[in-house]
Amino acid sequence: MPLIKETDYGTPAIASEKTISLMIDGMTVEVPEGTSIMRAAMLAGITVPKLCATDSLSAFGSCRLCLVEIEGRAGTPASCTTPVAPGMVVATETERLKKLRRGIMELYVSDFPRDILTAPANGNCEFHDMAGAVGLREVRYGYDGANHLDAKKDESNPYFTFDASRCIVCSRCVRACEDIQGTYALTIAGRGFASQVATGGTDFFTSECVSCGACVQACPTGALIEKSVIAAGQPEHSVITTCAYCGVGCNFKAEMRGEEVVRMVPYKDGKANHGHSCVKGRFAWGYAMHRERILKPMLREKITDPWREVSWEEAIGRVASEFKRIQARYGRFSVGGITSSRCTNEETYLVQKLVRAGFGNNNVDTCARVCHSPTGYGLKATFGTSAGTQDFDSVDHADVMLVIGANPTDAHPVFASAMKRRLRAGAKLIVVDPRRIDLVRTPHVAATYHLALRPGTNVAIVNALAHVIVTENLVNEAFVRDHCEWDAFQDWASFIVRPENSPEAVAKVAGVPAALIRDAARLYATGGNAAIYYGLGVTEHSQGTTTVIAIANLAMATGNIGRPGVGVNPLRGQNNVQGSCDMGSFPHELPDYRHISDPAVRRIYEDIWGVKLDAEPGLRIPNMIDAAMDGSFKGLYIQGEDIIQSDPDTQHMIAGISAMECVVVQDLFLNETANYAHIFLPGSSFLEKDGTFTNAERRVNRVRRVMRPKNDYADWEITQLIAQALGYPMHYAHPSEIMDEIAHTTPSFAGISYDLLDRVGSVQWPCDANAPLGTPVMHIGGFARGRGRFMITEYVPTEEKSGPRFPLLLTTGRILSQYNVGAQTRHTANSVWHEEDRLEIHPHDAEQRGVRDGDWVKLESRSGATALRALITDRVATGVVYTTFHHPDTQANVVTTEFSDWATNCPEYKVTAVQVSRANGPTEWQETYRQHAEQSRRILAAE
Amino acid sequence: MSARVFLPIDAGALALGADDVAAALAAHASARGIALEIVRTGARGLYWLEPLLEVARPEGRIAYGPVSAGDVPALFESGFLDGAAHPLRVGRPEEIPFLKRQTRLTFARCGIVDPASAADYEALGGWRGLKRALALGAAASIEEVVASGLRGRGGAGFPTGIKWRTAAAAQADRKYIVCNADEGDSGTFADRMIIEGDPFVLIEGMLIAGYAVGASKGYIYTRSEYPHAIAAMNRALAAARAGGFLGADIQGSGFSFDLEVRVGAGAYVCGEETALLDSLEGKRGVVRAKPPLPAIQGLFGRPTVINNVISLASVPIILAEGAKHYQGLGYGRSRGTMPIQLAGNIRYPGLFEAAFGVTLGELVNEIGGGTATGRPVRAVQVGGPLGAYFPPALFDTPFDYEAFAARDGLIGHGGVVVFDDTVDMAAQARFAMEFCAVESCGKCTPCRLGSTRGMEVMDRIREGREVEKNIALITDLCETMKFGSLCALGGFTPYPVISALTHFREDFTRATARHAAAE
Amino acid sequence: MHEYSAWDDERASEIITPWCTVEGGMLPALHALMAEFGAVPDAAVPLLAQQFNLSCAEIRGIISFYHDFRSTPPGRHVLKLCRAEACQSMHGATLAENLLARLGLTWGATTTDGALTIEPVYCLGLCAVAPAALFDEVPQGRLDVARLDRLVTAAR
Repeated sequence: MPLIKETDYGTPAIASEKTISLMIDGMTVEVPEGTSIMRAAMLAGITVPKLCATDSLSAFGSCRLCLVEIEGRAGTPASCTTPVAPGMVVATETERLKKLRRGIMELYVSDFPRDILTAPANGNCEFHDMAGAVGLREVRYGYDGANHLDAKKDESNPYFTFDASRCIVCSRCVRACEDIQGTYALTIAGRGFASQVATGGTDFFTSECVSCGACVQACPTGALIEKSVIAAGQPEHSVITTCAYCGVGCNFKAEMRGEEVVRMVPYKDGKANHGHSCVKGRFAWGYAMHRERILKPMLREKITDPWREVSWEEAIGRVASEFKRIQARYGRFSVGGITSSRCTNEETYLVQKLVRAGFGNNNVDTCARVCHSPTGYGLKATFGTSAGTQDFDSVDHADVMLVIGANPTDAHPVFASAMKRRLRAGAKLIVVDPRRIDLVRTPHVAATYHLALRPGTNVAIVNALAHVIVTENLVNEAFVRDHCEWDAFQDWASFIVRPENSPEAVAKVAGVPAALIRDAARLYATGGNAAIYYGLGVTEHSQGTTTVIAIANLAMATGNIGRPGVGVNPLRGQNNVQGSCDMGSFPHELPDYRHISDPAVRRIYEDIWGVKLDAEPGLRIPNMIDAAMDGSFKGLYIQGEDIIQSDPDTQHMIAGISAMECVVVQDLFLNETANYAHIFLPGSSFLEKDGTFTNAERRVNRVRRVMRPKNDYADWEITQLIAQALGYPMHYAHPSEIMDEIAHTTPSFAGISYDLLDRVGSVQWPCDANAPLGTPVMHIGGFARGRGRFMITEYVPTEEKSGPRFPLLLTTGRILSQYNVGAQTRHTANSVWHEEDRLEIHPHDAEQRGVRDGDWVKLESRSGATALRALITDRVATGVVYTTFHHPDTQANVVTTEFSDWATNCPEYKVTAVQVSRANGPTEWQETYRQHAEQSRRILAAE
Repeated sequence: MSARVFLPIDAGALALGADDVAAALAAHASARGIALEIVRTGARGLYWLEPLLEVARPEGRIAYGPVSAGDVPALFESGFLDGAAHPLRVGRPEEIPFLKRQTRLTFARCGIVDPASAADYEALGGWRGLKRALALGAAASIEEVVASGLRGRGGAGFPTGIKWRTAAAAQADRKYIVCNADEGDSGTFADRMIIEGDPFVLIEGMLIAGYAVGASKGYIYTRSEYPHAIAAMNRALAAARAGGFLGADIQGSGFSFDLEVRVGAGAYVCGEETALLDSLEGKRGVVRAKPPLPAIQGLFGRPTVINNVISLASVPIILAEGAKHYQGLGYGRSRGTMPIQLAGNIRYPGLFEAAFGVTLGELVNEIGGGTATGRPVRAVQVGGPLGAYFPPALFDTPFDYEAFAARDGLIGHGGVVVFDDTVDMAAQARFAMEFCAVESCGKCTPCRLGSTRGMEVMDRIREGREVEKNIALITDLCETMKFGSLCALGGFTPYPVISALTHFREDFTRATARHAAAE
Repeated sequence: MHEYSAWDDERASEIITPWCTVEGGMLPALHALMAEFGAVPDAAVPLLAQQFNLSCAEIRGIISFYHDFRSTPPGRHVLKLCRAEACQSMHGATLAENLLARLGLTWGATTTDGALTIEPVYCLGLCAVAPAALFDEVPQGRLDVARLDRLVTAAR
């Protein structure tokens, strides 16, 4: 489709029942009260010249191009800042106005570069458009006056440049950074003629800028412009698609020249991001074109051999023959598959279908195992649905936000901006996190309470919050009686009031003052609409599921369920982790979380798949590894996941993988797992295929192909080829046919089709006859499971305890510029912000160990040891250390343990007892690992 | 023996050595064994007589001036403490024609009382306005101000009472009264004089405003260029607080209100009310677009009454004497009195409070006595740096908002700056643009870029380069700035420029010949 | 005449702290820093940002907006000469230009011996005693060459 240009109405839409009727240029216009004259005119199809106004920002009134005349009013008011009034008669194009606008444009141009032919924004520049629109024909001031033409370019940011000589000081970038992103990294420095856009530092790179791109998008002159546009020129067509990074699921316009991506621009009508973006989705897409990306299938006999490039036929043939051989020799259950939360719904659906129907067992699992499996279990058990209850926009109605074990400004940046906007508007914030995350205190936002708990004590803290709510009679009894199982509630209440759940008792366990817990509980229960947002800091514990249930109890007890502004909101980590779970990636569940043991459900699939399905749940990832160790599991097909780097207790994982006879890795790059693989199938990026992703708010978003797969096949096609080679028929011509099958077999997807998505953009499941356009907020008027179920959540301390040998507790997390194992971001310029993982350690703990900032330190647990450099900061409390896990050379998971969630085996990443000591550099293990990695990445050039 | 004298502590008097005079008086008095009480008052506004020394006599005060420290011995010799004759003796100040022909309402006490003494203030009729307001009730007090016809003395001339009504009607958790004491117009000093000479009248005015609209907090935003006014105001606030006129439950009325002085930091544009509010909030003093009006969404987004010092200082007398009395004075739609400030090259510079209607000619020639240099008056700039230059030909213009507007001028804050025939009006036009460039907040394009371009164009004109073409250009630019600018800084800068061009065109074309000759 | 202390982060923080809880406390805080150090240097930016919970960019924007806030301390004495119309009408401009020329200074500059800084000011409210100035906060009226010379001598 041609280049999409959203209409800019100049000022934001106003929600008002009352409408005002006025006349603009002889046309009668009806608009909501409070609408600006400019917007009213635009709605009537009358374009008023403007430069400082754009409808993503509130009116500013600085450029003065939008002046109009109003009958009976003196002067020439700005149409962007003047609201409509009943019976108003407005003229937008009089001789006087024309002259004024030319006069203003003449001033602008007298201080603007005249390189119109070579300007990077040429062809797509509001400034040039305006010069034309007002009919400027000469600049009588000449060009020898004072000007800013020699201002130096700021090219410090890897993705965009700031050319001050093109800046017209309209403040759109400054306002975008403040109002939309909420970072306040830009300002106008100086005043008068000397006014200029500036950062708080010496340049963009060293400043507070988080590179979200909002300023670049807002700039009307190309003073701020993507380097990719300077390099490639202006795009000629665009395609709407969905970001492949986090669970926010931002819609982007992929702006193209032929098959070359020129830039990714957040899409104004994207229902999750409303035109905003972060540094990853906006800029870090270059990995798809990275020279290290593998584009040809490869084979090897032994993992010590170099890789050999082969044809697709040979590679697929080998996969089939190997899996047949293994199953013949070791039995039907000796092989399995892992679906990817980075791939589309259609692709994960296909992989689990391949395993269940093609392999004939249920040995399918997904990386959700290691992140949000407790969410699925806990919310299913209490509410009846394995997903978050709200849409993102719900936050605009929240009065209190309780953020537990999540770091939105780094991990879900676009939603964090929405949270910060609401917080600036007066909502209150409670943060429960061992670490002082940015939200605790960042410009114009400060948490009312920060409960800096000891890692591993989530259940104790959430129980204590509930204890206060019950003992201080803050329970919303009406809600509980109407919507929940009353007996279950009473059992729970009598449990929760027990002394061991009191703030005073928990204070000792969690290291949080009792008074603070009480205040937080009162605020959550009495502060109006209270919404809970949580992340992996909740789930990745031995009691991850228990915490999820405790959170659900809290929301039910206070009636914070079933309307906008409240709810329980897991911030899902990956673009399609919700979808991969929905699509039946777990060994015990078919799509829609229906248990494999249910014959009625199995029959649905047996009928259309034409095979008999095994009634027994298959192996989870950890079970697969254990089975491999004892020799009963030999073949694994892994689509788009790097279990060696992402799963805990690396050495154990390596041993297990190495014990297999055929490991097939399908990925963009030779990831860490590929070092132990026998067959490598090059995967396709999100730019190269059609499909859908389901984000953290259950929103099914379209992914659209913008270029042919550089590796020849989209991932779904590769899975299909394997199935065919195995002799199981799969003949989908297009992912839309897969979605039709999903809709046909999956109740909550019943109403979803590509036609619908192309029509309405996106829908949130459940989408069926009752909710043909999807369900933004769930459990309205009643829970999916009928009545909400309170469950006892006894706090059982993890076995993983700090002691004399391992006195510190390690917890792990993400950083804004990198993404999970970094397969994508490490292959982009994002690494300039974070080229290595660092160990955050409190000044006191550092001093005790003689560690200075930047020193190499050895991080050791009973599982293993690694070394990395220290970052001394009081963001972490004493006794706690923190690191990210983005870099394979660190292998943070060498130290994490085999402990996992009692219900779902979700690993306990967030608590590991460790010791930290000074080191001279990487450990021996890291060295040998690196050498082995280099060895196993050797590729023989094809003869 | 003992005696009591009065000597101004007003910055204008200090600028002429009042402190040296005070020191000399004290020294000589003690040397002569005289118990001399030196009361430091504000100024009466007769600056050609400053330092003006007054002696308390049974028959009233006897004034001597201008006194320098060197005159002190002779004054004692001649027995000035008994009101004896001396070359500097000017007799009863009230009888000095400049003072005699004034109608002093707002400035009734200025120059007479000790600005730090709440007792002085009360003794000379202070707090009567507040007491009547409390008796009338809030709504009635507002209507009293509306009925008085008082209009904003800052320059815009918007009816003060209407602003109060709007703020009173607005619903909010809190409201503010803000006094605009950012008196930056060249040629004006009335605000400074009141603050230094009778600060309690401003406090009383703000108390009445606060009571009327339901505000409990007020700010006086003034300039860092006014160190003495700041000190005087703070002294007065302390005294008022001590006297129970600020704080909780004022005079047992149940009405609570407090005041704070806040100081700007060198930005003329902060005299513009919305820029002032941003500055007061601790931000860049950038002009806000209106609406919303400050009365509905002002300081910290709350309903705010923002009035000029003189507007607020005129409120107590209006309440005390009743709206009629005030409304009875004036001309056309300009009611009451206006403190006019005669400044610059003028023989009798000072503050002249009179009912609206007096003509510019009377002010400059009769009251002001023509130029200080004795040369002919060539131009008079009325209303500060954004005010128009008037030639003697327009001296029949009566001092009145509408009359000045009708002649493409403005009375602004009442400053009158006189120039003699040595002035180069093209240079003055150029300076108007330069001043706008120096003080522009930089938000709107016409002001941010136009002021600098205006300087450049004026330079070309003064160098005689393509004069006619550039005169046309500066005229267009002034049009763009006047109708395109966001606030009065950019919007009114054209007044001095265009008036200079209209009335003194010869100064713009003079260089043509020279330039032609040069080529 | 002013004696300013050398910049000190701790002292600066002490000065800022009481103001960051006051409504609109930013300008008072900046004035307080000026009073102590004679300037608000770049080093102040992160301290102010941290305590007021604003961004460094915002702080920089605020400081750079107001002419009063210098980045380096002035000379031992400061003469603020009025450049506005009322003083022009009494030939203050010529007076100022001559003085600057004689001292070899530009507006805002300080004499090499660090004794005197001459700053432009636009109106001191002393328009009735023009030309006027502030010398270390002491008003000066009806200036002429002789009086200016006396001030300069006093400064050195």
